[in-house]
Amino acid sequence: MKVQVFSFQSCPYCVKTKRYLESRGVEYEVRDIELDEEAAKECLRISGDLTVPVTTIDGKNYVLGFDKRKIDALIEEMAK
Amino acid sequence: MSVYDFTVKTKRGEEKSLSDYRGKVLLIVNTASKCGFTPQFAELQKLYDAYQSRGLEILGFPCNQFAGQEPGTNDEVQQFCKLNYGVTFPIFAKGDVRGESAQPLFKYLTAQKKFAGFDMNHPVAKPLLDALQKNFPEYLEGDGIKWNFTKFLIDRDGNVVARFEPTTTPSSIAKDIEQLL
Repeated sequence: MKVQVFSFQSCPYCVKTKRYLESRGVEYEVRDIELDEEAAKECLRISGDLTVPVTTIDGKNYVLGFDKRKIDALIEEMAK
Repeated sequence: MSVYDFTVKTKRGEEKSLSDYRGKVLLIVNTASKCGFTPQFAELQKLYDAYQSRGLEILGFPCNQFAGQEPGTNDEVQQFCKLNYGVTFPIFAKGDVRGESAQPLFKYLTAQKKFAGFDMNHPVAKPLLDALQKNFPEYLEGDGIKWNFTKFLIDRDGNVVARFEPTTTPSSIAKDIEQLL
C-alpha cells in the first residue's frame, strides 16, 4: 500500500509534509484536491472536509495537518 | 474604460474576462496567499452569503508580496490549510498587485482610487504602519496597494466607487454594498 497526500499546490503545510516524507524515504502519491475533482471527493469522504494536508495509507485512518509525530506513527503502522 | 476591459487568470490558468461580471456589484480584494489566521476571509464570506443573491460578487486575488510580516497574527499554530481558505467566492491565480509587476487590473484600480490613509482606530493600524515603516517604507509611498485585504467596490456599471484599506473590516462596508445593490 502506498501513502497518499491530499493537498493543493499553494498550501505550505502540504509542502512541509511532502518534504518530511521524502526525508524519511517514504514514497507517496500526491492527490491535488484543487485540480483533481476525484481527489477532492475522496478527501471529503475520508475527512469530511477540504482541509489539507491529509496523509493516509488505507483511506480510513488519516493524519490532518503537518504533524510529524502522527505521521511517524502512520508510517510505523505501515511497516508492520 | 472600466474594469470590464480587464482579463484575469483563474487558478487553473484560464483567462477570465471581468466583462463576465457585467451588471454585478463587485468587491475586488487582494488576499493573503498563505493560509493563516485571517478573520477578513470569514467576514468576506459573511458578506457573500448575505448579498450574493442580490447581485454581489467577491473576487479574491492572492498575492505573496506582503508575506511573512503580518502584524498581530499567529498563524504557525494551525498546521493545515483549507482549500480556497474555506470561502465559496472565486479565488483567482496568485499574482502581484503592487509595483511594476502588478497585474494590470490592480494598476487600474489603484489609479482610479488613491490611497487615503489607514483607519487608525483599527487595532491593526498602528502595528501595520510600524511594520511597513520598518520593513517596506517604499510601500507607503504613492497609491499602490499597502497590504493584504485592500478592497475595491465596483458598481453595476463597472465604475470603481470606493477603496477600503486593510484597516477597514469587511463587515463595516456592508452599508456601502447595500447602497449599490
